[in-house]
Amino acid sequence: MSTLWKKTYDWIDERVHLGDLVEFMGKKYVPVHRGSVWYYFGGVSLFLFIIQVLTGILLLLYYKGSEGLAFESIQFIMSKVAFGWLVRSIHSWSANLFILAAVVHMFSVFFEKSYRSPREITWLTGMLMLFLGLGFGFSGYLLPWNELAFFATKVGTDIAGVVPIVGKPIMVFLRGGEDVTGATLTRFYGFHVAVLPGIFTVLLGIHLLLVQRQGMSEPLDVEKAGAAERKTMPFFPNFLLRDLLFWLLILNLLAILAVFFPWELGKKADAFASAPAGIQPEWYFLFMFETLKLFPAKVWFLDGEVLGVMLFGVAAILWLLVPFWDRKSARGEKNRAINYVGLAAVLYIIIFSILGWFM
Amino acid sequence: MKKPSWISVAGLIVGWCMVVFNARAGDQCATCHGTLGDKPSSLFRKDIHHLKGVTCSGCHGGDATSDEMERAMDPKAGFIGVPKGDAVSVACATCHSNADKMKAWHSHLPTGQLELLQASVHGKLSTTGKEHIAQCTTCHGAHGIVSVKNPASPVYPLNVVATCAGCHSNAVYMRSYNPSLSVDQQEKYRTSIHGMRNAKGDAKAAACASCHGSHGILSSTDVKSAVYPAKLPGTCSKCHSDAEYMKGYGIPTDQYDKFAKSVHGIALLQKKDLGAPACNKCHGNHGATPPGVESVSKVCGTCHALNADLFSASPHKKAFDERKLPECETCHGNHEIVTATNTLIGVTPEAVCSKCHSEGEFPEGYRVAATMRGLIDSLETNEARAKSLVGDAEQKGMEVGEAKFKLRDVHQARLEARTMVHSFNEGKFRDVVGKGLAVAVLVGQEGQRAIDEYVFRRIGLGIATLIITVVAIALWLFIRRLERQQQLERTTT
Repeated sequence: MSTLWKKTYDWIDERVHLGDLVEFMGKKYVPVHRGSVWYYFGGVSLFLFIIQVLTGILLLLYYKGSEGLAFESIQFIMSKVAFGWLVRSIHSWSANLFILAAVVHMFSVFFEKSYRSPREITWLTGMLMLFLGLGFGFSGYLLPWNELAFFATKVGTDIAGVVPIVGKPIMVFLRGGEDVTGATLTRFYGFHVAVLPGIFTVLLGIHLLLVQRQGMSEPLDVEKAGAAERKTMPFFPNFLLRDLLFWLLILNLLAILAVFFPWELGKKADAFASAPAGIQPEWYFLFMFETLKLFPAKVWFLDGEVLGVMLFGVAAILWLLVPFWDRKSARGEKNRAINYVGLAAVLYIIIFSILGWFM
Repeated sequence: MKKPSWISVAGLIVGWCMVVFNARAGDQCATCHGTLGDKPSSLFRKDIHHLKGVTCSGCHGGDATSDEMERAMDPKAGFIGVPKGDAVSVACATCHSNADKMKAWHSHLPTGQLELLQASVHGKLSTTGKEHIAQCTTCHGAHGIVSVKNPASPVYPLNVVATCAGCHSNAVYMRSYNPSLSVDQQEKYRTSIHGMRNAKGDAKAAACASCHGSHGILSSTDVKSAVYPAKLPGTCSKCHSDAEYMKGYGIPTDQYDKFAKSVHGIALLQKKDLGAPACNKCHGNHGATPPGVESVSKVCGTCHALNADLFSASPHKKAFDERKLPECETCHGNHEIVTATNTLIGVTPEAVCSKCHSEGEFPEGYRVAATMRGLIDSLETNEARAKSLVGDAEQKGMEVGEAKFKLRDVHQARLEARTMVHSFNEGKFRDVVGKGLAVAVLVGQEGQRAIDEYVFRRIGLGIATLIITVVAIALWLFIRRLERQQQLERTTT
């Protein structure tokens, strides 16, 4: 067996020089410190994304992205296709866990100031992937064409429409018209399975390449410590095996969630029906939704909702550009203000998400 | 007791004469117009207002005490001449809407008539824009007004129909206000039990105002109207449930109570389903009369058309006609028609079929009834089982949308079977039930499959979780061993 393995390895090595890669992997080390556990969330996000792609491809075999057939095709997948229920449930649950893992990963990077030079591009690509992940969630939510998704999309695209000047054209572009119709479903389907994955793959490639090229970032205090005090572990096989262990635990969690809490389908969307009571977006949009609800109708001369949406836009841009305005961290100095901002953001998101869930 | 002296008796006579003289002297209008012999003044002599002491100036204004025409009819003295349009009702209301004035005339009449009239369909509609349809005088007359209890009154129960018909039977006039409203109410009324009794002089029999009210008449589509479908049974029951009032007519007075408990009554009175019949849907409204034996199926058939058609084509039609049995009523009753259940058919004591069919008498019908009951019971049992399995699977979080959709077909088949009962044809009934049974069995199987799948998923999850956990533990042990080896290698080097 080992001879066969060696023969295969040699055959490939002869053609693509695997030896260089193995040598590179062998020399690659991952820092070990009190915050090392956060490194795994990047890998977990990647694992969940891979599951998304695989289950998504399987769903594509049966899903029909049109107003008249979308709901029925999901119903068919859930009830008739062998293990269709499992594939759909895992796709839905892994989508949610992906957002959660990506958010945790983003905050860990934020608090460790790992975005500082020279990893600005890694941060930018990561943040853009997080935004795309939210886009995946928003577009995928409509695809079953059920009542809840229909009205949530209506509300979501309405919110996009309040942005001055560009809001209305964006809303019409997203909806494929003035209202949420079959045209919106077709568009969202296209975004979900072609446009977003295409962009995401490019960003993911750059992101992973940079992580490999630049290595893992170390916290400031670890970086400043002497070489003797700095601990590391080999990327291959130690870190990769630990990553694998995490992935197995996540896989187990996914299986349990998919079986015990299968993703419901609800009622088919009906444009003429009144909106169901207690309609709310996916949990990761809840804090924004709740904030907009609590905003006063008018703030000075501005419409409250417009102001809210604009503030979120400004906050997102500031967050995205943090490597460029946090000069202290870039210089290798401690910046407590960033920690306070991050902590306030975490508390705000948690509190408003809870409020949105129960109110 | 002391006898009254002649002086006191003479005093009383003189006093009475003075009162009468003064009263007559107070209405100089009537005195002069009376000598002219015109119609209004001659009618006014019998008018209740005149008898109570109201003078002409009460409505026309002016100075009724003056025998000089210029002074009596001087606008400065408030003379308004003949009130026109809405001013007529306003003139009446100066007294009739004033409780103090009415009390002073020793009247116990209510004082809200004008308000009711203005809110009524007669007080709201207008084609000229100047005046509304009806004024007080339109129904009560002008100078010869008498009490409503007086047989001479145009609104006395025996006269009110002709009074209303004065406008309502005039197609040309009615067209200008409501072209879609029929103008044959009086004609129909005269064919009704109420109309026939009314024509014979029975003032207790319902006339127009008994159902529609008098001053505050509203359109039958107005929810406040006494003849609005959901209120109509209550309106009819005012008389028909009053045992004292109905004494002597020889009909029961429990119709409303029975109707309220019936499937129609519950739909109309509790669920406010206006598609459900009120009294008038079966009895007619203006031509109200109990449907006869020969016409009862036609009455029910106006809504239950399919059932009526099937019955008419069935062998029961001839048998019922020969025995003069009312078609629908024989099995379902009349006012207290309850939701039809399977117990109605069959050969059990509570089944209506067994009223006529027994093993000895009409045995073929007896056999068919027993078969039909068995079939529909079987359909119901299978439907309940399928529903329970699908519900159970849904409760377990399984996707059973399609099975639930198919359950509608079973329900539909059961409804169709209940309709098909009226054909009393075993073959046709068996076909309909058979269709429902096939779907019910299929849905039941799908429900059971979903439950089995649920169990399979749990077992599958258990096995998968176990394998993943074992692999994870093995991996963890491997990592530990690997790191120990690496540690050892580092220390030795």
